[in-house]
Amino acid sequence: MRKYIIRRVLYAIPTLLGISVIVFAISRLAPGDPVRLYTFGATNITEEDIAALRHFYGLDQPLPIQYVTWLMNMLRGDFGKSLQYNQPAFALLMERLPATLQLAVLALVLQVGIGVPLGVIAALNRGGWVDNAVRFFGVVGHAIPQFWIGLLLIVLFAVNLHWLPSQGLLTIGKDVWDIPDRLKHILLPAFVLALAGVANYSRYLRTETLDVIAQDYVRTARAKGLRERTVVYVHALRNALIPVVTALGGILAALVSGALIVEQVFTWPGVGQLTYAAVRGKDYPLIMAGVMFASTMLVISYLLRDLAYARVDPRIKV
Amino acid sequence: MTQQRTHRTLLGIAAAAVLIATACAPSGGPSASSTTTTQETPVAGGRVIRGSFSDIRVLNPVISTDATSSQVISLMYDTLLNVDAKTGNPVPWLGKWTVSSDNLTYSWEIDAKANWSDGKPIIAEDYLARAKAVARSKLTTQKSSWNDVEGFNDYRDGKATSISGITIDSANPKKFTVKFGKSFCPALINVFGIAPIPAHVFGKYTVDNDPSKNIDTAPENAAPTAVSGPFKFKEWRKGDQVILSRNDGYWRGAPYLDEFVQKVVADSTVQAAQLKTGELTLGAIQPGDYDDLSKSDNLKLYEWKDNGYVYIGWRLNNPNVPALQDKRVRQALAYGLDMSQVVQSVVLGHGEKQIYHTPSVSWASPGTAGFQAYNFDATKAEQLIKDAGYTKGSDGFYAKDGKTLGWTIVTNQGNKTRETFLQVAAEQYKKIGVKINPKVEDFTTLVPKLTSGSNEIETIIIGWQLGTDPDPFSIWHSSNIATAAQAGNNFVGYNNPDVDKLIEQGRGPNCGQDVRKTAYAQMNKILNEDQPYNFGFSQNRILATDKRIRGIEPGSFSPDATWNVEKWWIKQ
Repeated sequence: MRKYIIRRVLYAIPTLLGISVIVFAISRLAPGDPVRLYTFGATNITEEDIAALRHFYGLDQPLPIQYVTWLMNMLRGDFGKSLQYNQPAFALLMERLPATLQLAVLALVLQVGIGVPLGVIAALNRGGWVDNAVRFFGVVGHAIPQFWIGLLLIVLFAVNLHWLPSQGLLTIGKDVWDIPDRLKHILLPAFVLALAGVANYSRYLRTETLDVIAQDYVRTARAKGLRERTVVYVHALRNALIPVVTALGGILAALVSGALIVEQVFTWPGVGQLTYAAVRGKDYPLIMAGVMFASTMLVISYLLRDLAYARVDPRIKV
Repeated sequence: MTQQRTHRTLLGIAAAAVLIATACAPSGGPSASSTTTTQETPVAGGRVIRGSFSDIRVLNPVISTDATSSQVISLMYDTLLNVDAKTGNPVPWLGKWTVSSDNLTYSWEIDAKANWSDGKPIIAEDYLARAKAVARSKLTTQKSSWNDVEGFNDYRDGKATSISGITIDSANPKKFTVKFGKSFCPALINVFGIAPIPAHVFGKYTVDNDPSKNIDTAPENAAPTAVSGPFKFKEWRKGDQVILSRNDGYWRGAPYLDEFVQKVVADSTVQAAQLKTGELTLGAIQPGDYDDLSKSDNLKLYEWKDNGYVYIGWRLNNPNVPALQDKRVRQALAYGLDMSQVVQSVVLGHGEKQIYHTPSVSWASPGTAGFQAYNFDATKAEQLIKDAGYTKGSDGFYAKDGKTLGWTIVTNQGNKTRETFLQVAAEQYKKIGVKINPKVEDFTTLVPKLTSGSNEIETIIIGWQLGTDPDPFSIWHSSNIATAAQAGNNFVGYNNPDVDKLIEQGRGPNCGQDVRKTAYAQMNKILNEDQPYNFGFSQNRILATDKRIRGIEPGSFSPDATWNVEKWWIKQ
């Protein structure tokens, strides 16, 4: 087991390096220049000022050298300074992490908490209107763009009904520990973030439950005279959940990257919003820090998935 | 949509960097609704929550380059001199000044009451601290403003351990003089329309005999500890909001409001929604939201003219579009676009047609008498095109030597006003036989092409947010033509020795307002005739506020209307 983990971690290194090269290249080779962007319209700025700024940011070096410098610094834990904020990029990211985690965790809870029962109920009522509704939702929920449903929900719940706030972490002036107020704020973005996952889970669970219910051991369980509830929840569901764990793998990363759009729509001050702003502003160090962070999360989540997989299904050895 | 405002205000750095806070004398904008506040007694308390489409980046005026940060900074730092919100005329603020007869030496005295929020007096040393911080900072974009101050460049380069042109009165720490090497009219606002920074806080970061030391990494850049403006820094929740609280010791009298909060919102749609729900109580809005928000019971709208305009720039130095080098063609393009209709359809009437560079709100504006208004006249437009040697083909477009009269007009993506303007222009130009290929491009890629004079840009729709001083040097002087070797704001490549001379005249040595005004009137006359831009229109600024907020008196030279924020109060 330990060997397996070590091997997986070692595999992760070339993956992350590859990602860093690609993202570095894409961000630098894309047209646009942060220094010109930041100084655009400044009436008194001279070409020397711009050259000095570019030198200050290290942008006057050849690209390979810039990359190696970045890599060396990164290995020492220094992701460089954000061009926009003039503060360490990694620290900026970490400042935003709690907000993103709150959102991701609640979204995950909603996905599993709503998606799993929905799928099971649909399977048990196969062909009925509940099943049809869940299947319809399974397609639509997955297909709806997050920004669109987000804006729609803002109009409905915030503007028209005045039930929920539309933006931000908490009401201005409220204490940061005002939990009810925070819950009100997090509900809409978490729901939007969870939506696609809920749809996915309900579809997975429906298919799997139908599969499992048709198995011999389930028939045996029924034949033994077990209550339907026990048959479904003890015998069927446990086995139906295995593929769900597989799907969990991509979720951590999907939540972080999906949060990019949701955080933008709901002005949720998390990692996604910060990374989005970095891309908009061609803030290279911050882009790199944001992408490397998300990639690392992805690698870790795949590892966790594989470990969890072995745990849920003893037949699988790692 | 997120960029809509960001990008408009990015253009405003010219203004923001030069002078962030604004104005003095009470004034209402041209269409500012008058209130009944006169009978009401102001009460202290409450907070204003303003929407913004991007987060602030920094809270130090020396290194701020973005308009969002500068707006918040202006609530915390008062400037040495200010400009009248309505007229743009310089007025004494933290200090008052006299100038020597040769226009080279300015003598200043800082107001006796002026104190930092921590109780220490604001003194000449604090102004010097600003100058030194700019000289040594690697991040600032303000160094060039100081070029003409004697000794500034030597201090900047580490060749001197003091700035010889700035002398502090040994008897009175509130008095100082600044000596310039040459007379330069915009210097008054560039060099004195700025905020001193507390020397007892920032002084230690600049070391006279070590030019490598600077304020760039000072922790106070993100959390100021001593301020001179009506509000103090309280908290910055990054990505979400920045909270300022009342400066009880404000030298002009404590403001009524307890707090001023600036909150990040996703875009104009969301901002409009939040204004309606009351989550925001102040926000600059787009014309498209005007009717909707004006119906909202809890809101009040203010509208005033802006010191800026949106235009179509015709590239005069781009070999790909030789047709535009012919003045008759450019004039035809002015006659052929019904700007009154554009103002109606693009900004829904919240703006006015612009026929030359200087906006009507500026003291330098020469009015309309004697200028060609270019009222819509399709026949005249087509005649001018024919005069230039073009003939209409069977496809309805004019052509010469087998080449169709037409080009690409590009604008920045996400700015609805400009995108609509582009569509309308393309449609109307088609009617006079000019083939326009409309194109939108991301702002981040557009800017470098513009400022480097890339031939990829044939014509462009973009805007100017102008500085307080009317000096148009950076936009129209031939030395600022954008090339690959030298960035410039003269994107269109306009090169006219007469205009150069008039602009130089406006920069000195005679800085009398009438003298400058005459020079600028002549310059505008030439630009009006030459039509290097289709000067487009000036879009009004519209501010939506909670209707209980009292005391707002907008003016064109206070873009966010906060020049008198200490007098704002909330009716209970």
